[in-house]
Amino acid sequence: MTTTTAAAASDSSRWSAVFHATLVPVLLVLAWQAWSMTLPANSPAPSPSRVVAAFVDLVATGGLVQATLLSLGRVLVGFLFAMVVGVGLGALMGSNVRIKDNLDPIIESFRPIAPMALLPMAILWFGTGTAPSLFIVAYAAFFPLLLNTIHAVSRVDRKLVLAGMTMGIPRPRILTKIILPAALPGVLLGARLAMGVAWTAIIAAELAVGAKSGAGGTSGGIGQMMFVFYAYSIDLNGIVVCMIVVGVVALLIDRIFRFAEHRLMPWRHR
Amino acid sequence: MPTTPDDATPLTAGSPLAMSLEEAEGDTSKAELDKATPGERARWSHRRWFVALRSFAAFIGVWYLMFLWNGNPIQLPSPFRVANAIWQLAISGELLEHASISTTRLVIALVVATLVAVPLGFVMGLSRSADRFLDPVVELLRPISGIAWIPLGLFIFGVGDVLPVFIMVYVAFFPLLLNTISGVRNVDQRLVNAARTMGVHGWPLMRQVIVPAALPTIMVGFRLAFAGAWAAVIAAELIGAPSGLGFAIEWYRQLLMTPKVFAFIVVIGVVGYLCDLALRALQRRLTPWAEGMGLS
Repeated sequence: MTTTTAAAASDSSRWSAVFHATLVPVLLVLAWQAWSMTLPANSPAPSPSRVVAAFVDLVATGGLVQATLLSLGRVLVGFLFAMVVGVGLGALMGSNVRIKDNLDPIIESFRPIAPMALLPMAILWFGTGTAPSLFIVAYAAFFPLLLNTIHAVSRVDRKLVLAGMTMGIPRPRILTKIILPAALPGVLLGARLAMGVAWTAIIAAELAVGAKSGAGGTSGGIGQMMFVFYAYSIDLNGIVVCMIVVGVVALLIDRIFRFAEHRLMPWRHR
Repeated sequence: MPTTPDDATPLTAGSPLAMSLEEAEGDTSKAELDKATPGERARWSHRRWFVALRSFAAFIGVWYLMFLWNGNPIQLPSPFRVANAIWQLAISGELLEHASISTTRLVIALVVATLVAVPLGFVMGLSRSADRFLDPVVELLRPISGIAWIPLGLFIFGVGDVLPVFIMVYVAFFPLLLNTISGVRNVDQRLVNAARTMGVHGWPLMRQVIVPAALPTIMVGFRLAFAGAWAAVIAAELIGAPSGLGFAIEWYRQLLMTPKVFAFIVVIGVVGYLCDLALRALQRRLTPWAEGMGLS
C-alpha cells in the first residue's frame, strides 16, 4: 500500500518536473512559430517548422554530419596537441619552482591574448585550410590545461612523495603511481574546460577563415557552413540548425568529460 | 553546502583569463610574503622583476633568432619593427582610437548584461518556482556559444556597433546569472536566521544580509563575464564590425603590414590584462570580506 502511494507520488513529481522543464521552452517555440506565421511567405526569418525541415534536409544530404565531424576532428587533433604540450609543460612547471618562476612571466603575458586575435597571423602562417584552425584550437585549449596541471601537480601532497622515496620507489614509478593519480582531478578539470573553449574556438576560427578567405570551401566545418548560409545562400533556418548542433555538441562534450571524471575518480564522488 | 566554482560556471569558465580564478594565484608566495619583513619583501619583489625581465629578454632573443632564420618579414617581423609599429600607432592616435572603441563596447555590454542578469539571478535564486520555470531555458541556451550567434546576429543587426555589443552581452550574461543564483542560494542560512530572529525582514534583510553575502560570488561571475566578453569581442569585430581592435588586426593583415598586426595583438593582451587587474582591485575594494570566503 505504502509502496504504491510512494510510487504514485514519485510518478506525479516526475510529471511535474517534466512539466516545469518543458513549459517555458515550449511556449517560447510556439510564440516564435506564431510570430513567423504573421510574416510574408518570402521572408527569410527562421521559424521552428522551417528549421526542422532544414534539419531533415541537411541530415539527408549528409552535409551537416560531415561538417560536424570535420569540426570535431579538428578540435580533437588541436586538443591533443595542447594536451601533450600543456600537460607536459604543466607537470614540469608544477614540480619545479625554478622553471615555473622563469616561464610564468611569458605565460602570463600570453594568457590575456584572445585566441581569435592570433587568427590573422595563423592565416598568414598556415594559409586558409585546416592548419590555422588547428593552431587556434590548440592555443585556446593550451591555457586551461597548463594552468590546471601546474596547480594540480604543485598541490600534490609532499608527504606522499616523500613516503614513496623513503620506501625506495624509483622516480619514474613515483611519477606514474603517486604524482599522476594525485594530480588527475585537476588535469581532468583542465581538460574539460579546455575542450569547452576548443569547441568555441573552432567555430570562431572556421567562421572567420570562411569570412576572410571567401567561399573557396577550402576550410569546411560547421563554422564555415554557417558562414556560407549567411553570406551566400542566405538560409537563416540553416544557421539556426547549425547553432543548435553547436549547442548540442558542446553539451555532449561537457557531459562526456563529467562522466569520465566520475568513472576515473570514483573516490571523489561518494 | 559550497558549490565549487567550476560547477557554477561549467561551459563558460574556460576562457584563458578566467583561469586565474581556478588557479590559486600566489597562494604560497602570498603566505610567505605576509611573514616577511619589509626588507625581505622588497628584495623578493626585486627578484621577481629581475626574473621577469630576464625571461622577456630571452623570449625576445628567441623571437629575433626565429626572425633571422625565417627571413620573411611579412610572416614574422623583427621585435624592433613591432616596437616601432606600436610607437607609430600610438603617436598617430590610431591605437587609442581602436582600443577605446573596443573598451567602450565592452563597458556598454557589461553594464547591460549586469542590469539584466543580476536582478534575474536574484529572482531565480530566491524563488524556487521562478527557478524551476526559467532554468530550462537558460540550460538550453547556455551551451550555444556566443560565437555561434555571429552569423544570425550579422543578419539581424548588420555590420556595425550593435553586433559586437550583442555578442558580448550574450557571453557575459551566463556567468553573471549563474554566479548570482549560486551566490544568493548559498548565503549562510544561519546569517539569515539570525537576522530574522532579530526582527529583520524584507528589504533590510536583503540589503544588509543577502546582498553582502552574495556579492563576492557575483564579483567572481563578473570577472568571468569580462574574460569571456573580451575574447568574444575580438572574434565579433574580426568578422562583423568596421572598427575596433579585432577589426584592426584583420585590416592590417590584409594589407600585409605584419608589424602593425603584432602591435594590435600586443594591445589586445595589454588591455585585457589591465582590465583584469582593475577588476581584481575593484573586487578587493568592493568585497574585502571575500578573502575569508576563499573567493578572492
